[in-house]
This record gives sequence, C-alpha cells and structure tokens, in this order.
Amino acid sequence: MSEDASEFATGRYLYCVVPVDDETRAGEELARTGVDDEPVYLVVEDGLGAVVHACDALYDAADPDVVRKWLLDHQATIDAAGEHFGTPLPFQFDTILTGDDDRVREWLTEEAGTLAPHLDELADHWEYRVELSRDDAILDEDLVANDEQLAELDGRIESASEGTAHLLETQYEQRLDELRHERRAKRTRELAERLGPHASELRELSPERTTTLDDDDSTVTPQDERERTTQARVSLLAHEADADTIGDELDAVAAEQGVEVRFTGPWPPYTFAPTFDE
Amino acid sequence: MKPSKPENGAVVDLVDAILRDGVVLQADVIISVADVPLIGLKLRAALAGMDTMTEYGIFEEWDAAHRRRALDDAQRSPPTESGDVPIDAERTDTDDERPNTDPDE
Repeated sequence: MSEDASEFATGRYLYCVVPVDDETRAGEELARTGVDDEPVYLVVEDGLGAVVHACDALYDAADPDVVRKWLLDHQATIDAAGEHFGTPLPFQFDTILTGDDDRVREWLTEEAGTLAPHLDELADHWEYRVELSRDDAILDEDLVANDEQLAELDGRIESASEGTAHLLETQYEQRLDELRHERRAKRTRELAERLGPHASELRELSPERTTTLDDDDSTVTPQDERERTTQARVSLLAHEADADTIGDELDAVAAEQGVEVRFTGPWPPYTFAPTFDE
Repeated sequence: MKPSKPENGAVVDLVDAILRDGVVLQADVIISVADVPLIGLKLRAALAGMDTMTEYGIFEEWDAAHRRRALDDAQRSPPTESGDVPIDAERTDTDDERPNTDPDE
C-alpha cells in the first residue's frame, strides 16, 4: 500500500452527521466502539454533530471476516447515532477526513448550508429494503400455463424427431428465459407502483445483489433450500409512520403462491444520501 | 408484515449501499474519494461482484480512478511490504474454503 495516500498523520473516520441540540456536549462518547473497536465520539459545531473516531490509515483487508466485522461496526455505530439523535446522514464506509477535530469543525461549518437542509428533509425518514422472490418451479409453471407460444412448442416437441425436438427444446428454453425476464421487469414495476405512493423516494435495484462478501453463505442459503429467484428489489425512503402501511401492502404481495417478501429496515438512508460535488 | 433488522442484515442487504452510497464528499477534503480508492485494494478482493457493478455502469468513474491507483500502487510497492503479510497469511491458514468463489446466484 502506498504510504503517501493511504496513511496520514491525523485523520477522522466519519460515520455520519446528525442534528444536535444545545444540550449536546462536544466530545460526547457514544456508548459503543466503532470500526476496529475504536472509541467513537461526537464533534459538534453549528447545530450539527459529526460521529467520528481518530485514525491514521484507511481500513483495508482482504479477509472477508474482517471486512464483515468492519461493515457491521460501521453500520451499528450509525444505527446507534440514529437512535440517539434521529435520522443521520450516513457516510460511505472508509470515508476519512484528514486532520483533527478542528478540521472536522471547520468542515461542518463549511458544509452546514448543505448538511442542515438535508437532515431536515430526512428527519424521521429511513431507508427500507424490499426483496421479492419466487419459487422457481411455481414461476415456470405459471409462465408455461399462460403462454401460447410455449404450449405450441411443447406440442411440436412431442411429435418431432429427435433432432428437431432438440432444436425446438432450445427455442422453448429461450422463450421461457424471455418470459422470465419480462416477468421480472413487470414485478419490479408493479412493486414500485404499489409502494411508491407510500414512500418519499423509491429506487429500483438490480434483482441480483451486486456485491457480496466472498464467503457470504447467508445470501445463498435460502435459495439452496428451495430453488428461488429474486424477482424484484427496491429501496424506499419512507417516513417511519408509513412503515406499517408499506408492510400491509407487502402482505398482499406475499399472499400470492410461491412469493416470498423480505422487508428490512429501518436503515440509515444510505441510498438517499446526497453527493457533495465540487 | 413488519420491517426487520436481521443481525447480519447490514452486510447481506446493505453491503452495496454502505460501500457505494452514503454521503460522498468533495475530493480535496476527503481522502477516500477520487484520489485514493474508496475501497481499499485488499478489501476489494474480499468482495464478490465489484466487477459486476462496473458492468452495470454504476462504478465506471470510480473504477477508472481505482484502477489507475491500483496500477500506481503495484508499481510503487510490492504487496509483500508493510502490514499486508499477517492478514494474507492468516487468510491462507484459516479462511481458505472458497477463495474467490462467487456464490452461485
């Protein structure tokens, strides 16, 4: 690792920024340690609190267990801050401000005009994630039962010679694949339409989780038990009071045969956090 | 149904968000944007699907910077230097079941 860039004399790992009141003391320690068991504390300026710990290098490791622990620590620290102070503006993992607490205070002052309105806007709002999966067998059965082209191909395969049958079977699989894709797009659309009215913002995500820890079995176990495919994934920014309504909507979705819904949250609004450009 | 917060949910459900989303800051103030890989080079090895993200175009800009950086680093300092050894060694000993195996999704 290069010494000039990834290591530095003094830095502050930033977890999140939270709104604070006059009572909040600077340097207040949160009742937990953060990434790598570092003590986490609050730097306060202009009605804003930055949740930080002191560090002198980026956090980098190839061991998935270490990375997993760091990510959980990062998230748990932001959660704790959120419970204490209300919806936080969460930072990406490994966001480090080079400098000391004074530099953090300067930065809070510089950015107060941007940070404060975002915090106001996000107040009492959290990120919720919804993942809809369906039993593969039931899905295919459903698709086959409702498609004339597949029915026709099926009929022709039965009466065809071996060579022709093979060709037709390939066509059959292609058609089925096409239908699966269409269905996924439709599912995502339907889910977005159903949940959109109850959310401040909704982001459609790719049905596959794009990033996983290399040895992360937990993501595949449910699919191993029964063959299931994720049909849709969305991320919502919603007021905490609307979580029940969203849950009710999802009950209706999950009532369909073979459909399983995973509804998680409330999370800090990572997906809906702003980008601070130049 | 009620939303749940599974114990490892932060990693299972949010890993992409924690690494990719969240507040992104101005490059001159923050060390982890543009100038330096947002995600450490070794850490990247622990993640499956980073390349997939690039394919989706989500990461293009980030990745371009990242790759340049990786190249620089590779030229400047061989991976056996500094603190790399213990982690890698440990990994070889204890965490060897399926290195670089993508869960079959």
